Amino acid sequence: MTHKLQFALGSAVLALLVTGAVSYRSIVECSESNLWVHHTEQVLEKLQDLLAAMQTSESNTRGYLLTGDESFLELYRAGIATTGKNLTMLRNLTTDNAGQQRRLDALSTLASQQFQLAKQVLRLRQENGLEAATEVMQKESGNQIMDGFQTLVGQMRDEELRLLVLREGDAERRLTQAKTVLTLGTILGLLITGVVGWSLLRDNAQGKDSGAKYRGLLEAAPDAMVVVNQGGEIVLLNVQAEKQFGYRRDELVGQRVKNIIPEGFAERLIADGTRTAAEALAQQIGTGIELSGRRKDGSDFPIEIMLSPLESAEGTLVTAAVRNISVRKAAEKHLAQMEGRYRGLLEAAPDAMVVVNQGGEIVLLNVQAEKQFGYRRDELVGQRVNNIIPEGFAERLIADALRSVEDALAQQIGTGIELSGRRKDGSAFPIEIMLSPLESAEGILVTAAVRDITTRKKAEANLLNKVEELNRSNEELGQFAYIASHDLQEPLRMVASYTQLLARRYKGKLDSDADEFIAFAVDGASRMQRLIHDLLAYSHVGTKGKDLLDTSSEEALQHALINLRGAIEEKGAIVTHDPLPSVLADETQLIQLFQNLVGNAIKYQKSGIPRVHISAAKNGGKKWVFSVKDNGLGIESQYLERIFGMFQRLHKRDEFAGTGIGLAICKKIVERHGGSISVESQPGHGSTFRFALAKSEKE
Amino acid sequence: MPIEVLLVEDSPGDVRLTREAFRDANMSIHLHVASDGVEAMAFLRHEGAHADAPRPDIILLDLNLPKMDGREVLAHIKEDNSLKTIPTVILTTSAAEADVVKSYQLQANCYLTKPVQLDAFEGLVKSINDFWLSKVKLPQQRQKT
Repeated sequence: MTHKLQFALGSAVLALLVTGAVSYRSIVECSESNLWVHHTEQVLEKLQDLLAAMQTSESNTRGYLLTGDESFLELYRAGIATTGKNLTMLRNLTTDNAGQQRRLDALSTLASQQFQLAKQVLRLRQENGLEAATEVMQKESGNQIMDGFQTLVGQMRDEELRLLVLREGDAERRLTQAKTVLTLGTILGLLITGVVGWSLLRDNAQGKDSGAKYRGLLEAAPDAMVVVNQGGEIVLLNVQAEKQFGYRRDELVGQRVKNIIPEGFAERLIADGTRTAAEALAQQIGTGIELSGRRKDGSDFPIEIMLSPLESAEGTLVTAAVRNISVRKAAEKHLAQMEGRYRGLLEAAPDAMVVVNQGGEIVLLNVQAEKQFGYRRDELVGQRVNNIIPEGFAERLIADALRSVEDALAQQIGTGIELSGRRKDGSAFPIEIMLSPLESAEGILVTAAVRDITTRKKAEANLLNKVEELNRSNEELGQFAYIASHDLQEPLRMVASYTQLLARRYKGKLDSDADEFIAFAVDGASRMQRLIHDLLAYSHVGTKGKDLLDTSSEEALQHALINLRGAIEEKGAIVTHDPLPSVLADETQLIQLFQNLVGNAIKYQKSGIPRVHISAAKNGGKKWVFSVKDNGLGIESQYLERIFGMFQRLHKRDEFAGTGIGLAICKKIVERHGGSISVESQPGHGSTFRFALAKSEKE
Repeated sequence: MPIEVLLVEDSPGDVRLTREAFRDANMSIHLHVASDGVEAMAFLRHEGAHADAPRPDIILLDLNLPKMDGREVLAHIKEDNSLKTIPTVILTTSAAEADVVKSYQLQANCYLTKPVQLDAFEGLVKSINDFWLSKVKLPQQRQKT
């Protein structure tokens, strides 16, 4: 831009100079020519005067000759004087013209001869009278002299006229020349101005540069702005920059930027062996660079500069936004002190502590963290926390469309988060982190207490294994009980069948001992059959259980009573019940439960009519508590707990047969339904068994 | 005309019990016994020592057998056009639902579990006799294809 302008201005000045010089010369020459014209006219006039004077003197000479009147002599003398005067003037006027000078010499000679003659004639007239004088006059060639004189004057006049024509033409030519030069010069000047103007307009239109506009932008900026060229010279600056550095604008423009930013700025703009100026600048663009500024009074202050490039006709300029960061620096120093104190606290913590900023970079850590992750402190500070906690940590700190940073963090505060840590050697280990926020000058930092939970994890895994093992072993046991009892049944069936066959075919045919032995064998076999049957039933509760569905407990009871019909009829028992609700149950097991409880109620009686009543009452919102109340033997209080155990019996076999498994089955069924079973009893007056079942979902 | 019954049963005790029970129920029964699945198929196909074996009117088949179990024997019988018309009654100690379902899928004619009590077992054999050997009309000729 400036180059273009300079060139244009130079061209315009040159054009004006040339035009002026040529015009001046033309005008000077023209006026010279005019002078010459005037001079020629003067010569012509004097020639006319000279001739007239000569004629005056000659005619007055004649007049005196004829009249003798003295007055003619006066005029005659005046004529001579005028002639001489004109001759002198002409001689002066025509000094530059040798031809005219020669003719003037001839004219002077002729004039002298004429005056000599006239003087002679006049003396003769005075001394010898008219005739003598006239005779001399006629004898002497007076007329010839005058004719010669007239001819010479005519020649001189012709010469002057010729010169006049020449000089007038010359003057006119020079005038035309001057006009042409002026016109051309003006046109040239206008052209240059036009071209420059158009060029400037075009540049403006392209927006490459608009000094005024850019200056306006600079002034509008809240920061101090300094525009520097590649040479490190200040090109432009704004008021804020003047205030910031304490200089007036004119003291800085054109000066080196090093005067106000002694180090680190100019160096950044300079190309070196490995990079071009553009690259050097590109590396700096957009990043805040912390440097030191120097005021006019020599005091330094911390600044942060942000560079951006500005294309211009002079090449790429650099716009630097200069911010005074004294306050921030002070805050940082304060923070550093705070951090010093905080570090003390960190080091005292028993866990590994890592402080991370919102960008996911590690800001601080303690010795425990160094040990835990196997890094030295300086290897971690400033690094991404992802390096040591690859997943799940940094993500928790990041704001997204749904939540702010604070919210994101708030969700995590105080809760133990189980993640995986990575040591320097690449090995992973389980960790639990607890996050807490830490307000700082840089915004909210996150303090993470990182605990190595390898041991706990192992213990947990161990426990899980144990639980699995236990479950498997329980299942195996159930399976074993089932298979064992099922497979036991086969040989037992043989024993029972053949002892029964023996008893049937040979009873009374052998001796009484044989009959008794066979009877024991038959009884033992059938008791073992019941035992195995009950054991199978018990193991079925766990292994053959069905899903819990909505089941009518009244229908289940009816079903159980049908199964018990034989015993009820045998004992004449009276079984009553209230309306019973629907419950969530495995119907088969519910039938079994009622069957066992009602069966027991009927069975354990001394005498009289067994009375059994079944009812249900709501317990809270979700359970039904069933009661099976009888008027039987009752149970001594010390046995109340035992009766639900396996093989627990309270009576001799010859009083009441049984395997001691029935109530254990009841307990197992109720527990499988998420409930519990209990008994209340007054010995001699009866017992009440209670169990709770979940309400039907339909209720 | 005697009734030919093939009992496929590996337990001698059960064989004897069944024989005793049938003897009480029906004197005109010829009870043939195969103690494993392979022998049962040999009997039915008159192979080897069983060249002169009669075609049974009914087969009582236990499921758990040595060599070839009852399920395989049942499958072979029901795949064989000359054998599949013979009523095949499963008589086993297994009460497992899977066995019941599998047997009917293999086209067993009925499925019975051996009762534990002697009286009940005798009752069951009597029921078999009364139903399958007395009431049911069975094909008299061998079906050849």
